[in-house]
Amino acid sequence: MSRGGAVSRPAVKFGLGGRFTLLLALFGVLASGLTGYYAYSTSRELLVRAAEQRLLTATQVLVRQLVVTLESAVRDVQLLASHPLPRQALAATSAAGRASAESGVDALFASLLATRSDYFQIRLISAQDHGMERVRIDRDSTLLLQVAGDDLQEKGHYPYVFETLRLPPDKFYTSPPAINHEEGAHAGLGRPSMHLAMPIHDAGRVLGLVVINIDLERIFKQLSADLPPEITLMLAGRHGDFLVHPDPAQAFAFDRGQRVLIHEQFPATAALLHGGSAELVTVTGGDGPAAKVAAFVRYRLPAEHIERAFILGLAQPLSDVLADSDAVGRATARIVFAFSVLFVLLAVFLARAVIRPLNQMLRSVERFSAGQTRTPLPVDRPDEIGVLARSVDALQKQVDGQMAELHDKQLELDHLASHDSLTGLPNRRLFLDRLEHTLARVRRSGEPLSLLFIDLDQFKEINDRLGHAAGDVVLQAAAERMRGVVREIDTVARLGGDEFIILLDATDDSAVVANVADELLIALAQPVRVGAEMLSIGGSIGISSYPRDGATATEIIAAADQAMYRAKNEGRNRFRFACAES
Amino acid sequence: MFGGYATGKVSRRLANADGLGNTQRMFDLRKPLVFLLLGLVLALPALAGSPRVLRVLTWQGYADADVVKEFERRHGVRVEVTQIDSDTALWQRLMASGGEDFDVFAVNTAELQRYIAAGIAQPINPAAIPNIARQLPRFRDVAAIPGLMHGGRLYGIPYTYAEMGLIYDRAQFARPPDSIAALWDPRLQGKVLAYNGGTHNFSLARLSLGAATPFRIAPGGWGEAVQRLIELRRNVLAFYSQPDESVALFRSHRVALLFANYGRQQLQLLRAAGVDVGYVIPRDGTLAWLDCWVVARGAQERKLVDAWLDYMLEPQVSGLLVSRQGLGNTISEAPGERAPSKLSWLEPVEDVGRREKLWARIISGDRVGRVLAP
Repeated sequence: MSRGGAVSRPAVKFGLGGRFTLLLALFGVLASGLTGYYAYSTSRELLVRAAEQRLLTATQVLVRQLVVTLESAVRDVQLLASHPLPRQALAATSAAGRASAESGVDALFASLLATRSDYFQIRLISAQDHGMERVRIDRDSTLLLQVAGDDLQEKGHYPYVFETLRLPPDKFYTSPPAINHEEGAHAGLGRPSMHLAMPIHDAGRVLGLVVINIDLERIFKQLSADLPPEITLMLAGRHGDFLVHPDPAQAFAFDRGQRVLIHEQFPATAALLHGGSAELVTVTGGDGPAAKVAAFVRYRLPAEHIERAFILGLAQPLSDVLADSDAVGRATARIVFAFSVLFVLLAVFLARAVIRPLNQMLRSVERFSAGQTRTPLPVDRPDEIGVLARSVDALQKQVDGQMAELHDKQLELDHLASHDSLTGLPNRRLFLDRLEHTLARVRRSGEPLSLLFIDLDQFKEINDRLGHAAGDVVLQAAAERMRGVVREIDTVARLGGDEFIILLDATDDSAVVANVADELLIALAQPVRVGAEMLSIGGSIGISSYPRDGATATEIIAAADQAMYRAKNEGRNRFRFACAES
Repeated sequence: MFGGYATGKVSRRLANADGLGNTQRMFDLRKPLVFLLLGLVLALPALAGSPRVLRVLTWQGYADADVVKEFERRHGVRVEVTQIDSDTALWQRLMASGGEDFDVFAVNTAELQRYIAAGIAQPINPAAIPNIARQLPRFRDVAAIPGLMHGGRLYGIPYTYAEMGLIYDRAQFARPPDSIAALWDPRLQGKVLAYNGGTHNFSLARLSLGAATPFRIAPGGWGEAVQRLIELRRNVLAFYSQPDESVALFRSHRVALLFANYGRQQLQLLRAAGVDVGYVIPRDGTLAWLDCWVVARGAQERKLVDAWLDYMLEPQVSGLLVSRQGLGNTISEAPGERAPSKLSWLEPVEDVGRREKLWARIISGDRVGRVLAP
């Protein structure tokens, strides 16, 4: 039984406890993981947004700075164009007047160039002679150079000349930013430049123009001078061509027959290029390590006739912006890990708390099934487990009661099977069993034992004459008396009919046995009252002993039986020893 | 150098960029299927045992997908088309393997000679290409087209061309200008647009001076050419570099005459911008580029290559150059053309460096003395 109970146990492979632990741990880890993840991604978003805002503000500041620079250049060209000297130089009819005016313009231009390091060149160009330069001061490395004579060139076919000459007196011209390819331009040759020009009128006639050649590189450098190294400046023209790009090979690419466009690298800037109402935009473009946070602002120059616009942008690598978020991420990861461990421990603890009483019940039920001593059940718990435990307890008690009843019935049956129902004496089967047991014992211990085989005399006659009921009374009386004679340890059994047998343990002393036999005979000789009649019975007794009269039960019973027959043959109501005949 | 040439193709290439993007996205969606098909495609030649592939290196619009498909169907081969967008890219691509990576490619006559010199081009047997008979006489006369022959052998089959004609404002001309000299007409002073390119402009100056060899300036001929270009400078409103730049100037300054370095592409742009313009090829001739099919050194199956060359001259293939690309083909006259004009097919010039150096001085406004100074 107990073995069977133990076998049924391993069938629980992945128990409730394990599943409960796993589920709880999973929920816990999931909850803390998700919380961590969302905290992390939110912090990233906030960082990116903050960076965008920061860049946008910086961009607006830079645009303002650029505007201030350009506006001051516009004031310069206005000042030069409205100055009387250039007009005099262009309008002079005499060579001497022209020369003196031109030398004055020279000084004027040179003094301005000396103070404005972001100007390459200032010129006075005539509307006559195919746009011949009349006064020209070039910057050449650090020096200022007065260009004169054959070195002066005809510029009439350049837009900054023919466009400016068409302007009304108070308007100015701005060229698109470009690389200056004009031979002999000294410092400005091959460099990004922009022309700022204003016509000079006299008496309703355009005489010429003043043009300032602005060093864009220098302006751009000034713009980016205060930027931290991780932030890069970008500038694009009206059509999106890069003028300033972190990679110098991508700036002014249109000059080399290529197009490197801002809206191809930052698609969101297309909205700025195509007019739209979007004056400013922030974008986050690119993927992986090249990802950038960038802000762009469009600025329109207030030039006449021709629309000139810039898109200025600042970009910062996304990885840089998110450097802080990585720290947050690591901290979050640590917290998530700690909470996960906590959740796992908590899950184990909780699962144990729930599973322990269940296991307690299981153990109890197992032991109960095995028929072992019951272990206590958690019947005192106020919860469902307590209810279950009480049910199990009640069940066990019920089973116990039924088992006890069954046991009593079993005992009764056993008694019925081994005892004579009439006399209550052990029957032949029980007697033989006891004899065998006793023999087994005495064989080892060397003790003796004796058998007394008793047959009632005249019983048949009583039975025939007075009926079975009377016979039964006689048998009961005989049994009663025989039991009264022998010791407690001795066994009196009814073999059947009127035959009885008595086992005298540890006795082979003939005198003692004979004494017992005598007492038996006296007891049996007492009359028995059956109804109104007093019946007198007697008995014949055969006595055998172990080991004297046989080694086995059969032998010693047979020996006692034969001795009994002898006693009967020799006149009844007497006893005979089996040994006496041999 | 051949700015119009390259840029025209670039812009067409850019126009198609979006389409490619869509295809790319579709590929992403159908990756597994594509891989399966790719596997099959790769496995098929191996199964067939004969990898018949024609490798074509060419320009956008010369061998469109439908044209290629028809050729593949007819000959049971696979055609691998690789596209380039500039003379430089073409040269680098072919030089990378000494011409072994391709069977056939397309190049203009001015460039062809250096491919021959590098041993990348192979001679062609005209008898193997029956469709040559369909070509206009002036393209059949290969000996008259400079740069096609070398050592008495033919190296290129003329395929497509574009000339640099004159675009004029119909409102300002009673009769279309018929000479290149119109660019110098003082009555048009400040109303002319010319191209900012030294090599072409010197050839143009030579043409306007009636020189027989626009691409060869003799040592004594520079002064005259420089003077001519300075005169041009003084007559023009401006020199343009890009087609859209020319369109903007044309519209904003009521320009009368434009030297169309980019050919009919500029005509289309101006008309699209709503300007009533005419296009004319000067009677006394103008510059033009001519692209030819050339057999590469790597040609594996000569018969197949010849079949390709022959196929390119079929009317339904060559006709697409006109209808789809606005270019000229060699088997029919351009629409609206009065008579076969005198076109000077571009040739290598005597000294690109010198032309460009002098041109830089001319456009900067220098006078003759300074331009010709050492």
